[in-house]
Amino acid sequence: MIEMHLFISYALILLGCFFALSTTIGILRFPDLYTRIHAGAVALTMSALLITVGTAVYVWELFLSLKILLIGVFLLISNPMATHAIARVAYRHRIAIPVSRDLSSRQKFEEDNRHDSS
Amino acid sequence: MKVFLTAIILAFTGGALFVNLGSIPDSFLLSHTASRFYREAVVTETGALNTVSAILYDFRAFDSLGESTVIFATVSGIVLLLSRKTLPVSSAGLSLIVKRTFGILTPFVFLLSVYIILHGHLSPGGGFQGGVLLAVITIIFCIIYGSSFDLSRYPPQRKTLIETTGALLFLGVGIIGIALTGSFLGNPSAWRGVPGTLPSAGSIVPINLGVGLKVGAGLAIIFYSMIQKTLKRQ
Repeated sequence: MIEMHLFISYALILLGCFFALSTTIGILRFPDLYTRIHAGAVALTMSALLITVGTAVYVWELFLSLKILLIGVFLLISNPMATHAIARVAYRHRIAIPVSRDLSSRQKFEEDNRHDSS
Repeated sequence: MKVFLTAIILAFTGGALFVNLGSIPDSFLLSHTASRFYREAVVTETGALNTVSAILYDFRAFDSLGESTVIFATVSGIVLLLSRKTLPVSSAGLSLIVKRTFGILTPFVFLLSVYIILHGHLSPGGGFQGGVLLAVITIIFCIIYGSSFDLSRYPPQRKTLIETTGALLFLGVGIIGIALTGSFLGNPSAWRGVPGTLPSAGSIVPINLGVGLKVGAGLAIIFYSMIQKTLKRQ
């Protein structure tokens, strides 16, 4: 029964490290900007949340834990927003062309850009 | 051959640096010079816990006044060069998601900057750092919402007013120091309070506030003057 919250916090932080590692592998291995940024948005937000929650459980004081959780809330808001902005700008200004075997999505990309630039 | 030569030069330089730095008597420097005076005198003479802030705004406050004058001169020069002949040209801003998210986040940016300015004598930070965070708000307004939003909510006249208020606050604290202690920018002992609490450290808190307002508004003016020229091409 001793220090139960320590085990929980270690488990949460290890899970967060696993998500961070998968983020890194995804950013290195995915083919184009959109899939890479998808790895950076989803898995990285999850890992940051898990690590902040794990740290809050590790500290185990009310106000200190609430402050750490507040950092987690800000990461939860801001990281998907930033990746959304980057992906949207890259799509609309033709900075990166999506790599896809599916021909229809490529054609849709071309049509969207023709519609925007006119 | 080239790699070999580079390695020789690097080894020689590293060896010279090591010999020179190793010959400095570090214990002598730490125990007998000005750093020892600062370590012992900061809390008793200023009431501030942050030594850097105490040195910047109390022992060398006149120097900080010069630095903020340099910022004022820079802002004046940039505004003079990029004068307000053209109307500000606004971009439409980013998407709705980004706008709503920054509607949530911008008050917290403001809160963080005020916290860093007002706790400059207790924790790392101070007027310059918090002022830069204040200027971030203008950058958020210009980029996320478009510069016409920044013009309507936070016009350049108000920025100039805030900057002048900061400068006058700094000078006013200096003149009050003449009246209370006899020297310009002196730290009156009646304001010193208990070290470690928020209303303490004498004249450091109002000087931090003045420098923060001045740096924040000044950098905001610089950014706004530049973006209204660069966005015009689009």
